[in-house]
Amino acid sequence: MIVVRLERRVATPRWIGVAVPVASVFAALVLAGVFFVLTDRPPLTVYSEMFDAAFGDVQGVKNTLVSATPLVFTGLAAAFAMRMGLYNIGGEGQLYAGAIAAAGAALLWTADLSTPIAIAVVFVAGAVGGMAWMLVPALARALLGTSEIVTTLMMVLVADVVLDYLISGSTSYWRDPLTIGFPQGKEIPDAAQFTRWFDARITVALPIAIVTAAIVWFVRNRTSFGYGQDVIGDAPHAARYAGISERRTVLVTLLVSGALAGMAGAAEIGGRIYKLEPSSLRLGLGFTGIVIAALARSNALGVLVAAFFLGGLRNAGQSVQAVADLDLPKSVALMLEGFILLCFLGGQVFSTHRLRIVRREPARRARASAGASS
Amino acid sequence: MTDDTTVRPDSGPGAPVLAATGVVKRFPGVVALDDVDVDLRAGEVHTLLGENGAGKSTLASVLCGAYQPEVGTVFRHGRPVELRSPRDGLAHGIAMVHQHFRLVERFTVSENVVLGDPQLGRWLARGAIDDRVASVAETFGLPVDPRARIHDLSVGQRQRVEIVKALYRGADVLLLDDPTADLTPQETEALFVTVRAMTAAGKSVVFISHKLGEVVEISDRVTVMRGGVVTGQVARVDADRHELARLMVGRDIDLDAQQFAAGSPGSPCLIAKGVTVRDGEQTALDAIDLEVRAGEIVGVAGVSGNGQRELADVLAGVLAPTSGVVEVNGQPIRSARAARAAGVAYVPEERLGTGLAPSLTIGENLLLTRRRGALVSRSAARRDAREIIARFEVKAPGPDARCRVLSGGNAQKVLVARELAGDGQAPKVVVASAPTRGLDVGAIEQVRALLDDARRNGAGVLLISEDLDEVLAMADRIVVLYRGRISLEADRASADRGAIGRAMAGIA
Repeated sequence: MIVVRLERRVATPRWIGVAVPVASVFAALVLAGVFFVLTDRPPLTVYSEMFDAAFGDVQGVKNTLVSATPLVFTGLAAAFAMRMGLYNIGGEGQLYAGAIAAAGAALLWTADLSTPIAIAVVFVAGAVGGMAWMLVPALARALLGTSEIVTTLMMVLVADVVLDYLISGSTSYWRDPLTIGFPQGKEIPDAAQFTRWFDARITVALPIAIVTAAIVWFVRNRTSFGYGQDVIGDAPHAARYAGISERRTVLVTLLVSGALAGMAGAAEIGGRIYKLEPSSLRLGLGFTGIVIAALARSNALGVLVAAFFLGGLRNAGQSVQAVADLDLPKSVALMLEGFILLCFLGGQVFSTHRLRIVRREPARRARASAGASS
Repeated sequence: MTDDTTVRPDSGPGAPVLAATGVVKRFPGVVALDDVDVDLRAGEVHTLLGENGAGKSTLASVLCGAYQPEVGTVFRHGRPVELRSPRDGLAHGIAMVHQHFRLVERFTVSENVVLGDPQLGRWLARGAIDDRVASVAETFGLPVDPRARIHDLSVGQRQRVEIVKALYRGADVLLLDDPTADLTPQETEALFVTVRAMTAAGKSVVFISHKLGEVVEISDRVTVMRGGVVTGQVARVDADRHELARLMVGRDIDLDAQQFAAGSPGSPCLIAKGVTVRDGEQTALDAIDLEVRAGEIVGVAGVSGNGQRELADVLAGVLAPTSGVVEVNGQPIRSARAARAAGVAYVPEERLGTGLAPSLTIGENLLLTRRRGALVSRSAARRDAREIIARFEVKAPGPDARCRVLSGGNAQKVLVARELAGDGQAPKVVVASAPTRGLDVGAIEQVRALLDDARRNGAGVLLISEDLDEVLAMADRIVVLYRGRISLEADRASADRGAIGRAMAGIA
């Protein structure tokens, strides 16, 4: 008789950190393939079209980098909190708040500024906006222990309504008074519109995203603050024992997480949309950030890789719509993203456990059970 | 015992009531039992003696059906049996009393006793059950009220409930896993009376322990284990503490040297005045006054749960007292940081989870209480970890091993080394809570030597321990904590075991 058992690993080997995400992606492709087969679309064709669109040529890679840029920020936002056991589900809302603040600051102050200072204004404003949106959930969590999962998610709904109100519900400062018909946001000054490089929408936001990831990595791994996060995430009693303030660490961590998501909003305003435009912002970038953080196992450098990959998936989703004989909606990307997250979460068990196949000796069993019945 | 595992023990009337041959049990990364043979005769107390991780609890779990051996056979009255669960074991009259009791706190004694009893019908005949429970209890000298609720009972009483439960179900083989760990000396004596009553009635007891003194007192035979193998078996008549210790540890241990020379106390370095800790209605500490002088060890004896944890936490600044003050060399202690800055080292009772973060590596855990700037160097911590692993013979895969995978003794070595031998800066005050509990003889020696070194280097040491022998061997002064108050204070010279035992039990 053969029994398959899950056994706890004594130590997690390093290769597991790479093998589990890769295997999860593969499993997700197989599962999603079932849907393609059922709807008469050859899965391999779909996947090769998608791969070509995202990574197949220089233009594809450029577009992928463009899609990945805001995802790096939202991914870092989720990862920064997740590694100490906090779940910022509201990156989407902080992104909107960051976009509102970035657009407002750009309209107010950047008209006469030089480009580098205007870029700084946009990003700082975005960070402040995201942080402000996190303030209530962070205080509630740090002081009252209220679940940040619930509060950050609820704040997304609030941000969504505010966004609509500013553009279509009122004649706010953000709205362009000159448009007739469909209400639009006011375009930000030229100085605040990031220059496009390489014939694509690649902008200064990309290097800023990479540098931010490096800074986050440094804070997590080389500073006393990051060490305190590790201790609190693992053993709150040990933190109390060592005099590490859980309240302060939780507060700072959540605020920084909000700021990072707000920077994604700034990158979108300054690098792609140039005005506060609800429909252009509502891409679920904040939510995808959570998937990225999970795939990267909360590692800041892993976020860069995962954001590139999921950016490619989004990019492919856009392109695959254009392939006439496949007749696929772009939400194919979201479906795949969902499958990947599910498979990854399921696959997590293999980083702490391993499968063991046990062969039982049939003769011994027979003898022993004969003994028991006698 | 024979080395030839294919030979079956005799069956028939003279056969051992319970035996196991050639037992192999592996866990990921370790062989817990490697070809172990053991047998138990009717009416005997057979002790499994060994250090932590020797495999004695695993062997007991195999004997009661909680674990299934990969190789090897369990025999009941000479016939092979397969025990697939503790329930199977109980059906064969084999019951285990675990170190951590498995009782429902809100239930009465009787309710716990009949819980899961397959004989129990649809209706609870409370009166009849209570009477039967009381009569079983009385027969074996286990005074316990069938109608009392578990949460009102002391540790010793709860243990009696577990034993009554086994006897009520008709078990005639009882496996007691480290039964004296949490008992006062008086409760231990009472337990031994019960054990003798059971064996007199023809029942057999497997006694699992690592305490040499009580093993010699209670056992008819002793099987000594080390590293998953049996290293020796001796009948009580031959039992010699030194020989047993040698079999257990694998080298000679000088038991008598465990008495430490008294310190030469200087001026007070740790002072607590009127320290009171209240949590809602509960008073954990009630106006404690305590003074520890430089260069002395003050032993705090008492059964756990009488305020030890709170006292240690308050003195180390981790817990703010409801009222009262703590001072270290004149500096008030109001936070863990302040305590650290004043030179307080603290070995907490709970090692994994409080003293050590389980998922962090050994190196990272060394950073926990070291003074840290804005930046931390994990590579320096890794170097320190390597040094500690080498110096204290910590059994670990390396400095990057997570503390969770260390055995209790090795984790404690890391923790104590960090607190007492770290940083090049000797601690001025040491608060150590149960620093050797559950450790094997070798580790105990090392931990005690470190505490003694701290005393010699002029630190004031507060040693909180349930092990009265340890307190008597090490402390210059002894206080007994009972229900949040100091019920006795004595110098080492005038300390009287009986009086301390009574003070621990709250008998004035």
